[in-house]
Amino acid sequence: MRYWRKLGLLAPLALAGCSTDNMRLFHPVGMLGGLEYHYTMWITGIMLLIIVPTVLMTIFFPLRYHHSRNAKYTPDWHFSFTIEVLAWAIPLAMVVVLAYMSVSAIYRIDPWTTPALAGAPGASLPPVKVDVIATDWQWVFVYPDENIASIDELVVPAGRRVELTMTATEAMNGFYIPQVAPMVDAMPAMISKDAFEIDQPAEFTGFSTDFSGAGFSWMRFKARIVAQADYDNWVKSVQASPNQLTYDLFTQKIAQPQVNYGAVPSYFTTPNAGSLFGKVVMDAMNGKTYPVPDSLTKSVASNEGEAPASASAK
Amino acid sequence: MQVAVDGPWSPLLGRLTLEAIPYTNPILIFTFCIAATAGLVVVGSVLYFRKVGYLWREWLCSVDHKRIGVMYMILGLVMLFRGFIDGVMMRTQQAIAIGPNSPGYLGAAHGYLPPYHFDQVYSAHGTLMLIFAATPLLTGLGNIIVPLQIGARDMAFPYLNAVSLWLTVAGALLCMISLFVGEFSNATWVGLMPFAELPSNPGVGVDYWMWALQISGLGTTFNAINIITTIVKMRAPGMGWFRVPVFTWVNMATAIIGVTAFPVLTAALAMLGLDRYVGTHFFSAGFGGNYMLYINLFWTWGHPEVYFLVLPAFGLISEIVSTFSAKSLFGYPTMIAASMGIAGVGWVVWAHHFFTMGMGPNLIGFFSAATMIVGIPTGVKAFNWLFTMYRGRISYETPMLWAMIAIVLLLIGGLTGMMLSASVIDYSVHDSVFVVAHFHCMVLVIGAAAFAAVIFWWPKVFGFKLNETLGKWFFWTFIAGSLLVFVPMFMAGLAGETRRLDYVFNTALAPYMMWEEVGVLVYLASIGFFVLMLVVSLWQRVPAGESPWGTERGLEWLTRTPVPFYNFAVTPHVNALDETSWRREVGAALRPARYVPIHLPHGSGLPFILGMDVFAWGFALTWRIDWMIVLTTIAMIAIVFIRSFDRNEGFIIPAEEVEAYEANISTASIFAEQPKRGHGLAGEAH
Repeated sequence: MRYWRKLGLLAPLALAGCSTDNMRLFHPVGMLGGLEYHYTMWITGIMLLIIVPTVLMTIFFPLRYHHSRNAKYTPDWHFSFTIEVLAWAIPLAMVVVLAYMSVSAIYRIDPWTTPALAGAPGASLPPVKVDVIATDWQWVFVYPDENIASIDELVVPAGRRVELTMTATEAMNGFYIPQVAPMVDAMPAMISKDAFEIDQPAEFTGFSTDFSGAGFSWMRFKARIVAQADYDNWVKSVQASPNQLTYDLFTQKIAQPQVNYGAVPSYFTTPNAGSLFGKVVMDAMNGKTYPVPDSLTKSVASNEGEAPASASAK
Repeated sequence: MQVAVDGPWSPLLGRLTLEAIPYTNPILIFTFCIAATAGLVVVGSVLYFRKVGYLWREWLCSVDHKRIGVMYMILGLVMLFRGFIDGVMMRTQQAIAIGPNSPGYLGAAHGYLPPYHFDQVYSAHGTLMLIFAATPLLTGLGNIIVPLQIGARDMAFPYLNAVSLWLTVAGALLCMISLFVGEFSNATWVGLMPFAELPSNPGVGVDYWMWALQISGLGTTFNAINIITTIVKMRAPGMGWFRVPVFTWVNMATAIIGVTAFPVLTAALAMLGLDRYVGTHFFSAGFGGNYMLYINLFWTWGHPEVYFLVLPAFGLISEIVSTFSAKSLFGYPTMIAASMGIAGVGWVVWAHHFFTMGMGPNLIGFFSAATMIVGIPTGVKAFNWLFTMYRGRISYETPMLWAMIAIVLLLIGGLTGMMLSASVIDYSVHDSVFVVAHFHCMVLVIGAAAFAAVIFWWPKVFGFKLNETLGKWFFWTFIAGSLLVFVPMFMAGLAGETRRLDYVFNTALAPYMMWEEVGVLVYLASIGFFVLMLVVSLWQRVPAGESPWGTERGLEWLTRTPVPFYNFAVTPHVNALDETSWRREVGAALRPARYVPIHLPHGSGLPFILGMDVFAWGFALTWRIDWMIVLTTIAMIAIVFIRSFDRNEGFIIPAEEVEAYEANISTASIFAEQPKRGHGLAGEAH
């Protein structure tokens, strides 16, 4: 019996797990987050149908058949056709169901085309296009239709589909806004896509999930979903910005390795914004790299106070 | 041809300069003091007790599979300890470095480790734990147990067995020396591409990592060849395929993965080596290179490698559950089918490691479903273990406790693994600490099974049992530590904590980090109990007798305890799957009636010398010391050359001598020093 009591100690831990305020996975926003949550709950729930009884049996059998209990003992009973058939059939049945759910889910969520968003309210409106470039170690958001760019802040209107086209300058980075959009890697010399639609103004924190070097932990950005009118105003104000993000500024300054300590956003007008993304991809394919200086690897320590070079351009 | 590298280079020392010695880093100086003290204690006691000759002849030159296995396991335990210390460092860093106002020590902005150092710590943690802790522990167990379970004298290729060991040691030494000379890779244990290429990673860290993996990978491949040959060719008479014990079967499955999957890693690392040394562009982003090729190749090895590790653990659980339930393993044929099934399906699931890298729905659908299929044979195994316990006569000895917790951990790891195999869930927790917690559950299964096996077979190898009381303390503290570390880690993963963070900007994660830190301290206590268990048991050395557990089943328990260096005095004829319990049941003889001469191989110092030479070769390549590369390469060829002219065919132990050993078994134990034996074969031997 004393093993039961020891197991009882685990109960508070299990209860602690019930508070999900922090667990963003349980608080999806928007259609894609909602779908992911839906499938997560179903897949986990179906799994638990098998896992919970098996765990209970793993606890119950050793207690029931402990040698001190003098329970029924059949030392030579080592095969039962019925049990073996069930032992294969039950997991098989579960895998069939789960695989069906997983495969049908991916055809709804696929970040390249996001079929699920076809049913969203914003489907009839033109999408907002944003080119995402992950540098070492900042996020550059280029708005090709508006000829503007922002660094470490993604501002998009509520109620419209946001289509992200992504690449990276040097190292692979994972683009992720929890609760909102599927995690997709931004990769050098390659193009990947992601999309989302949020119908109410809200603010999220996005970050990089795939390790990319010394400044990786600081690679976060604000994702602001604002009302359409506020978005239009924001675009106008950025278009009036004196700072220009040219290809030269990008390669000589923005894309040079720098740690984004404060996550201070900066904004730029960008003439020919549509061509910047393609040039960055071609550069990477042609072998352009942005070597990380020793001061940002071996000796990176306490330069916390320094703002990234791009912020000083404001 | 050679690609130019940044920084100074001299013909004598290559890239090595005084600056490569981190004498200004207090953490590394402290580590060096500890390592140097430990080294001095070991060397000092060997000298003090005048055991240099013994150590050289009986251990370093040994080709005995049990001694090689024990050395594998010592290596595994030492690396497990170092990998654990890396884990403590990571947890402590993350417990301190939370939020912009967190304090910084030792020159770090937050926490006490600057990012570059932290990145090396977790890269080393992953590499060491998987390649140099889990792999040697399981290889060592396979080495010790498989020949005993099939009634063989030794492995099929005893010399190759020693070569495998010393190659693995050479790789481990490269990892260890990177602590004090230069740096280790910061590109994670998988080697992120193109991040691990020369432009992003010009230092020697990636080279250390690459050569350590490459060299030990060769050792593992050789060992797999050895295991397959041993199992196919050296089973005792009467042991048909359906009398092969289940642990031997899983070693077969594992070894098949070993010989097929490890060459893929070798090829991938060779291409990376060409990129870094010769200037090719296999895996660079530009110049027509394709780093997705590396990612595919790495996981083509990497995922089978996961099953390479977990299958032996499944076999160990099977053996132990059956023994301590005093009952035959339930569903033996389906257990074998399940093991082979896992080994097979393991080959077609690799792409689930990068669902987020822009894969289309057709591919994702295939790899998601294929991954889930692994759940079927794994489920079968869990059910069969349950029905082995059902209507058994269970005793809670420490090995059984470990085996039972391994099943529970497997179920939790399986649940979360199935979740991750659905890409729709993976899209929100990929690269989060949820994944980290998941695979730690799985490696804890391996760890638990390995601990169970060490405790279970310890008396077989050494002749005395480990202290059960301290073993239980070790068990409960270890489980408490695991819960405290990994339950909060799962929760932090669901809260969106990314892995590999040297600085945690989300202050809401602070409570999880605190619990994990507490858990790591409990782990530290459990390691204390483990060491105490070893010390107290070694001190007491209570003779275990011929049947230390009372319910042993397999063929390996037909040898004397402790097992003599020649294993079975007379090769037994096998009548049943659980030979020992069968013989007890029908009242057949457990000991041979008469003795016959035994033929055994001589030891050799060449494998050890080869291992050290390969270590020097890896070191020379890492630092690009050209003359040393040439010299060590020539030495390697010379050693192979010398060996190929070795006409030593081993020695014969006459029947009378075997009888004398059997009468006084401690003279033949793993600790005992054997007289020097001449060459030549006289008469027929077995």
